[in-house]
Amino acid sequence: MSRIFITGMGLISAIGDSVEENRDSLINEHCGIGHIRFYKTAYAGKLPTAEVKHTTDELNKKLFGTPDPSVTRTSLLALHAAGEAIRDSQLASKEISSAETALVGASTVGGMCLTDELYHDARARDGGTPYLSSYDYASVTLAIRERYGILGETATINTACSSSANAIIYGARLIRHGFAKRAIVGGADSLAKFTINGFNALNILSSKICAPFDRDRSGLNLGEGAAFLVLEKEEDLNGKKTYAELTGFGNKNDAYHASSNSPEGQGPYLSMMEALESSGLGPQDISYINAHGTGTENNDETESRAMLRLFDQVPPFSSTKSLTGHTLGAAGAMEAVFAIQSLVYQEMYPSLSFQHPIPETGLVPVLHYTRHFIRHVMSNSFGFGGNCSTLIFSKS
Amino acid sequence: MPYFHQSVCISPQNSFPETDLSRIRESKNNWLEATEPDYPGIPAAVKRRMGKSVRMAVGASIPLLKKFPPPDGMVIATANGGMEDCIRFLNQIHEYKEGLLTPGSFVQSTSNAAAAQIAILTKNHNYNITHVHRGLAFENALLDVVMLLKENPQAGYLLGSTDEISAYNYNIDRIAGWFRDEPVLNTGLFEKPAKGTIAGEGAFMVWMNNERTAAQAEMMAVKTIHTVDPGLVLKTMEKFLSENLPSGETPDLVLTGENGDIRMAPYIDIVESYFNESVPVARFKHFCGEYCTASSFACWLAIQIVQCGFVPPLLIKKKGSRSSCKRILIYNNYRDIQHAFILISAVERV
Repeated sequence: MSRIFITGMGLISAIGDSVEENRDSLINEHCGIGHIRFYKTAYAGKLPTAEVKHTTDELNKKLFGTPDPSVTRTSLLALHAAGEAIRDSQLASKEISSAETALVGASTVGGMCLTDELYHDARARDGGTPYLSSYDYASVTLAIRERYGILGETATINTACSSSANAIIYGARLIRHGFAKRAIVGGADSLAKFTINGFNALNILSSKICAPFDRDRSGLNLGEGAAFLVLEKEEDLNGKKTYAELTGFGNKNDAYHASSNSPEGQGPYLSMMEALESSGLGPQDISYINAHGTGTENNDETESRAMLRLFDQVPPFSSTKSLTGHTLGAAGAMEAVFAIQSLVYQEMYPSLSFQHPIPETGLVPVLHYTRHFIRHVMSNSFGFGGNCSTLIFSKS
Repeated sequence: MPYFHQSVCISPQNSFPETDLSRIRESKNNWLEATEPDYPGIPAAVKRRMGKSVRMAVGASIPLLKKFPPPDGMVIATANGGMEDCIRFLNQIHEYKEGLLTPGSFVQSTSNAAAAQIAILTKNHNYNITHVHRGLAFENALLDVVMLLKENPQAGYLLGSTDEISAYNYNIDRIAGWFRDEPVLNTGLFEKPAKGTIAGEGAFMVWMNNERTAAQAEMMAVKTIHTVDPGLVLKTMEKFLSENLPSGETPDLVLTGENGDIRMAPYIDIVESYFNESVPVARFKHFCGEYCTASSFACWLAIQIVQCGFVPPLLIKKKGSRSSCKRILIYNNYRDIQHAFILISAVERV
């Protein structure tokens, strides 16, 4: 079974346009959550979100020169991050477009970020907006495929908030089974009326800046962004630089409720457990965890319980969602990049807005930037529908 | 080697609970709507909340979940999930000007709702994934199971697909030019080729494992590609066949996703004309309509055909002269750019 290494990374979020900018913000505790400025919703000024600090036109001009009117914000974010990852991997354009390159994207909003346009097109007699073929989830992956002319296996995954963690897993498996030589994997989501209203109807959006793992946490803040990684197998590296090895992964279902975790966090527990088993590591080997940590009452308590069950001594953990917001389909890949950065630089990132531990669990996240010896790092992503996934990266 | 065992297909035709492919139900207003059973296995309170795509998927899975041990994973394909619920929520957003909304439709509209519901109803904690890659979602799900069965040779998996027609999404695709402007019946879909086709929907669920005993068909191989070059489609097929069939052999049937849209004709033509006169050609979209996971209906048909060795006459486009039907090549095309090949074979009895 081939060992899988990360050879390229790209990221755009509310705290930066590149992997390095994001790291700087994490180190300096620059929180990206704030008032809504760029997208139209009645919740502007009421519910804080973590926006990428560019208008859609700016992103479009930056990527296309002459803006392409049919490309959605979600796809633009994906193109931005995938572009950085591809450049970073130093693969030749012939290698990228080859039938040996797999592309696995993930999104939970897709083109529905254009909530108003979708509403219009669903009723139009004729004409319609330029977005008629861009509303689905696959449109995001297809935008990347088209830009690079990729001929290999192409997939899009939607398992809610664990989507892009599963895209990483699926890409690694395609390589191991010989269906691809390399894989570009990740996810993207942008802020939308659709999601802000959906999550608000579920009463899980906070009117304050989110406070993951805090006793008085009052919900999550939605964010947007994209992250992509390039995976290659050991045999093909030829001395190339690598950031980390993907050593383990788990995909389990909580099988409890459509929109909340079981009280004991069975799904989270099982997915962390499966990731450990697949990596051949024990709980004591994990140096640091990038937790799912959304800031909702349900997630943080159940994730804490699952960690307490699995680890005799819970390793240091943080929720970077306290800086980036919850980027849904992008979160798994985004936090995979953060986890890998923590391995590369031997450092842990802060979990902001924390004051008091949850009385029942007593866990305290990493509160400030800290240098730390890290050998194996775990990243959790849990979603609606009970979809729980865990990734483990190890120092290469 | 992966095998298909029992399957359930909810479609616009007579596919469940009884199968009768000797007759064809007609489309209405360019729609082929799936005929749903009563779903006695779904609790009434749960059923009421479900949109059609989730209901069809859960309903189709129940007979299999009753018959087989708990699956080691469930792999579902759906390009869009609950489109009706999605639009219903969108309408609420507009109607109530982003006021206080009820979350039901939002939760039901997420495309992983079907896989989630099946997991919840059966308390199944195992591998759970939803593939949404438009016209190739089903092929990706199938490949996922093929890989899972290599990773865990003793395991058994639930593979499925589901997609529904919704009036609003039909409208979006219609103005984009994917459906016929003029009324056309499915029974006359191939008579006058024009731009566009008719809409369809359905759900398919099948149990897969590596056990030949009691299997209904063998899953040989699957391959997808994105291209608008018919030549590359042909090259991909040639390579696919040479890698997966003994040298010099051809399939006993080519089952294509011809849908009456002239823009797809170059691809269908190049695939069909590759084979000599002896190889029969059949098609299926006048039975199920066009939708993102329509190739799962073809997969269900292929499983039926290799068992009885007989191709329902209503499906046949070109007769050929093969005396048996043991190996079927499915070729599907979704809107020009997405192409898929699946090879399914009769189970070799030893």
